[in-house]
Amino acid sequence: MFPNLRRDVGFPFLGSVALFGLFVGSGLLYTSLQGGRASGNLITAMFIDAIMVVGIQIYIGNTGVFSFGHIGFGAIAGYTFALFAIDPVDKATRIADAPWGLAEVGTGPVLAAVIAVVVTLVIAAIIGIGLARSGAQSGAVAATVITLALLFVTHELARSWVRLTGGERAGLAFGIGDTLDSRLPIYLALFASILAARLFAQSRAGRLSKAAREDDLAARAMGINPIVQQTIALLLSVVVVAVASSLRVYEVGSVLPGLFFFDYTLLTLVMLVVGGRNSVTGSILGVAVITAAREVARRLGSEGYEFFGIGLDDAPLDWLFREGLPRVVLGLAMVGFMIWRSDGLLSDWEMDNWLWRTFRDNPKMPDLPGPLEAVSSSELQASDVVVAFGGFRALDGASMAATGDEIIGLIGPNGAGKTTLVNVITGMVPPTSGSVSLAGQDLTGAPSFKIARAGLVRTFQNLRLFGLLSVRENVEIPALVAQQHRSARKLPSIDELVAAAGLWEHRDRRASELDYGNSRRLELARAAALGPQFLLLDEPTSGMSDSESLQMIEQVRRMASLVGAGVLVIDHDLNFITGICDRIYCLDQGAVIAAGTPEQIQADPQVRAAYLGVSAPV
Amino acid sequence: MTELIQNLIDGLGRGSIYALLALGVAVIFGVMHLLNFAHGELITVSGYVAYAMFNQGWSWYLVAPLIVVVAIIASLLIERVAFSLVRGASDFTLVLTSFGVHFLVSAMFVMFVGARVKTFSEPGWIADTIAIGPINVEVFDLVVIGVTIVTLLLTVAILQKTMFGLALRAAAADFDTARLMGIDSNRVIRGAFALSGALAGIAGIFWLMRAGNTAPSSGIDPMLKGVLAALIGGLGSMRGAVLGGLALGVAEVVLRSQLPGEAAALTEGVVFALIALLFIFRPQGIISVATAERV
Amino acid sequence: MLETVGLTTTYGSIAALRDVSLSVGEGEVVGLIGPNGAGKTTLLGSIAGLLQPVSGSVVFEGSDVTGNAPDKMLKAGLALVPEHRRIFTDLTVVENLKVGGITVGASERAGLLEEMADLFPVLRDKWETSAGFLSGGEAQQLAIARALMSKPRLLMMDEPSLGLAPVLVDLVFELIESLRNQGRTLLVVEQNATRMLEVSDRAYVLRSGELVAEGTGAELLERSDLFDTFVGGTS
Repeated sequence: MFPNLRRDVGFPFLGSVALFGLFVGSGLLYTSLQGGRASGNLITAMFIDAIMVVGIQIYIGNTGVFSFGHIGFGAIAGYTFALFAIDPVDKATRIADAPWGLAEVGTGPVLAAVIAVVVTLVIAAIIGIGLARSGAQSGAVAATVITLALLFVTHELARSWVRLTGGERAGLAFGIGDTLDSRLPIYLALFASILAARLFAQSRAGRLSKAAREDDLAARAMGINPIVQQTIALLLSVVVVAVASSLRVYEVGSVLPGLFFFDYTLLTLVMLVVGGRNSVTGSILGVAVITAAREVARRLGSEGYEFFGIGLDDAPLDWLFREGLPRVVLGLAMVGFMIWRSDGLLSDWEMDNWLWRTFRDNPKMPDLPGPLEAVSSSELQASDVVVAFGGFRALDGASMAATGDEIIGLIGPNGAGKTTLVNVITGMVPPTSGSVSLAGQDLTGAPSFKIARAGLVRTFQNLRLFGLLSVRENVEIPALVAQQHRSARKLPSIDELVAAAGLWEHRDRRASELDYGNSRRLELARAAALGPQFLLLDEPTSGMSDSESLQMIEQVRRMASLVGAGVLVIDHDLNFITGICDRIYCLDQGAVIAAGTPEQIQADPQVRAAYLGVSAPV
Repeated sequence: MTELIQNLIDGLGRGSIYALLALGVAVIFGVMHLLNFAHGELITVSGYVAYAMFNQGWSWYLVAPLIVVVAIIASLLIERVAFSLVRGASDFTLVLTSFGVHFLVSAMFVMFVGARVKTFSEPGWIADTIAIGPINVEVFDLVVIGVTIVTLLLTVAILQKTMFGLALRAAAADFDTARLMGIDSNRVIRGAFALSGALAGIAGIFWLMRAGNTAPSSGIDPMLKGVLAALIGGLGSMRGAVLGGLALGVAEVVLRSQLPGEAAALTEGVVFALIALLFIFRPQGIISVATAERV
Repeated sequence: MLETVGLTTTYGSIAALRDVSLSVGEGEVVGLIGPNGAGKTTLLGSIAGLLQPVSGSVVFEGSDVTGNAPDKMLKAGLALVPEHRRIFTDLTVVENLKVGGITVGASERAGLLEEMADLFPVLRDKWETSAGFLSGGEAQQLAIARALMSKPRLLMMDEPSLGLAPVLVDLVFELIESLRNQGRTLLVVEQNATRMLEVSDRAYVLRSGELVAEGTGAELLERSDLFDTFVGGTS
């Protein structure tokens, strides 16, 4: 579950303790400096908001799927909690004829919170299936709509199902003196949620989920089925939100439809994006910053200049210092941060990652391991593949075969169908007819993550790295998939692969910060880390100069032999192709027009004609 | 049968307003890939201006055109101060920016005008009905449907017959190529916001007539109806937006009259649930469009 | 008429174009050939203002137009027929042409529409048809006609024969010849090198983002090492 115990459990635990301590400590410091009940209530509310925001962060931060609906889950949990926790005596005045005899139930707060979590989880599971069905991925509109609908459906239910919820006037309320009177449960829940959020982000599931957040297609090509990770993230996130919502209701002492609606959605989202939605540390920072900004705005609004204690007679800013200022500040913060810094203050910075990088023992660069025996019996075959888009045939009966110890080239002019063939083989484009098999196993039309797990792993013409993740993490993610799905092969370690790619000194940098050549090398190492039978490389030298292309020959050979994989490579650079390939297929107009050794291909008049036009000089 | 026809007319009246709002959302999505959660604020702004003018003794006949003008100006202003600064940003940024603008505008009204609902008188004829056989039709519905038809015809004429409309359609289909053809991206985007504002203004007239009041949070409802109708229709498709609006209106009216007893109060909730189901099974909406190029 | 000096364009950290200097004279047909990924489309995009070059300059008719927005470039007289044609499939044929002529006055536009109808009779027959229903060859003609609607002083085409059946490829090259005979100035990117060289006055060979050869069409056709230069095979 956790790739590296020290890094993924030990340090996150320390980091969570530190984050919790700093956050709670500064809250308590503020109350003790300010004094008074109001400041205490403000800080209690801030702690509960923090739990809520961390809960939302677990989903949005790890999946990139934008959810408007988490406060809708909050409403479900909040009402469920109230229905079970409130004493029947107090319910009698508001919802005496509640369905299912709920008016007579009084379980006490702890059991009520457990029930709230369970009920919310069941609904989240159903919504999760819906989200998966709609193809939720980073930035998907459908996910926004579905979650928004959840928020409104729960709101409408809360308003209109008066027999159960007390509606908009009465609502549900605890009896006097029955509300939360100790901060202990809040502290426990806050620490647990911070820890859970950090542990999830570091766990296998969290890492795979973040890979899909960065690039859904590339994640699938690395054998990840993002739906699984997204659903885990949703469920965990909803548990935290449900706990926070129960606490919120318990602390406020009553629940009305407006408690979990648009205003609270805005507040929590602003907190999340101001701090940085991709970071737990950032979320907590966002909660603190926005709470402070709101409080200052509130006091400026209600007390104006008195708050400064300046006592000016004329008050030129009276037009600004009025009630309603806090909302304006929230709206401005949202718009302003989107324009100025849409990744938030901290982006993806985490305290424990920083501690880990600072205090770990620096590992030495590993020696390169010996080559792995390639499996010559694993034959990749594509037969009579046809792909028709409308009337246009991108592939028109293309066939090819390669054994696991070969390096095969795929060349042809622009539009010949080379990338389409790789797309068909790796399951990204369904063939109209024809078949694809690996070592006798039929893979035609299988989803791309299954094909990747079966041992066909590709790279992309236009680099698709996991940009926000570090170089080492980019290699680690397919290695985690390999542990589970390709465990029969003994593969080199992550560090060995990073070193072999020549990226050792860059291993902690973000992938998006690499220059072009290193990005290409990283993409190759990432594909190799899955321990494939075949590496399918789509234009690994595009955009490279001649000398870089020649170095790439070495690089591809080394990587392929390290993991014992065959290679199928598309390229337009004949120096590279002839330098590296055992055999070459030449495609034109969607069909193979020539196949053979590099020498044969170079001498083939049809190949020349395809490249240069019909009447090529020989 | 009678009831069904009755519902249909009521639904089309309601749906017409949604259609105009949805069309405005779709126009902007087409050129900017922005799902505009701030669209309803155009009605909030117009509502307050209308309220101020009523206090000056203006009649609906004077206020109605003013509402359209105010909505256009507000739309252009919002584009200038917010959306023009996030052009081409990620979907995440665009959605949250519009969400933020929505809150900012309503918060400013709370702050500078006050949170209380401001009421004004509806036009006298709003509750009149005329009987056509056994069916009682609200005059208001007929006016709305009539004006909507005229507005849609005008919009179609603008889109089909004018060079601006052509530029807008070209930009919505393929922004980069449109720029290659000499279309100025600033002008076409501002034009889209102006058109979107005009449509929201016309919808706003009827919305405000029916509501008879305005409040800082008045924008939420029209925004939701417009955005959801545009989504139902398939974002980016203008035809889909109109269909989505009409479908949403009819669905609301029919559900309200057909749902039994207590559940009728839940109409809105049921409609949202149906929309969620639609997106689960058809994430691209009713009419699917190839994803528009982004700015 | 057109000159680029030391043009370099990058995508993020990728140098797609390195120090490219070329020129096109009035009335010339200039070919730009090279393999897939050589940077041809990037070069045209950098000239047309779709991409911002990081260094170097584009000089058109004596004035520096580097980095101008595409609509400015078009108004200056530089039109581009983009790769894959990119016609507006939801618009009718005549609407596509009108969009192409958006920068000229209404009366002039009417005249140009007539001119295009004469020049491309296929299109006249489908005047009110939605452009999505055109065949590949017709769509390519529409794309060229659409670009001509702006009365460009220089017309650039990106891979006009791409994805067309052989008989339509012939048509495209006939079209290029007829445009040349009308005295128009053309800069054409093609992968179909031999055919392109046959209709070019001069041509450049681009590979890996750099110009590796230039000469008249006839000269380049004569060169026996063209294939190797072209795709980088070592002879």
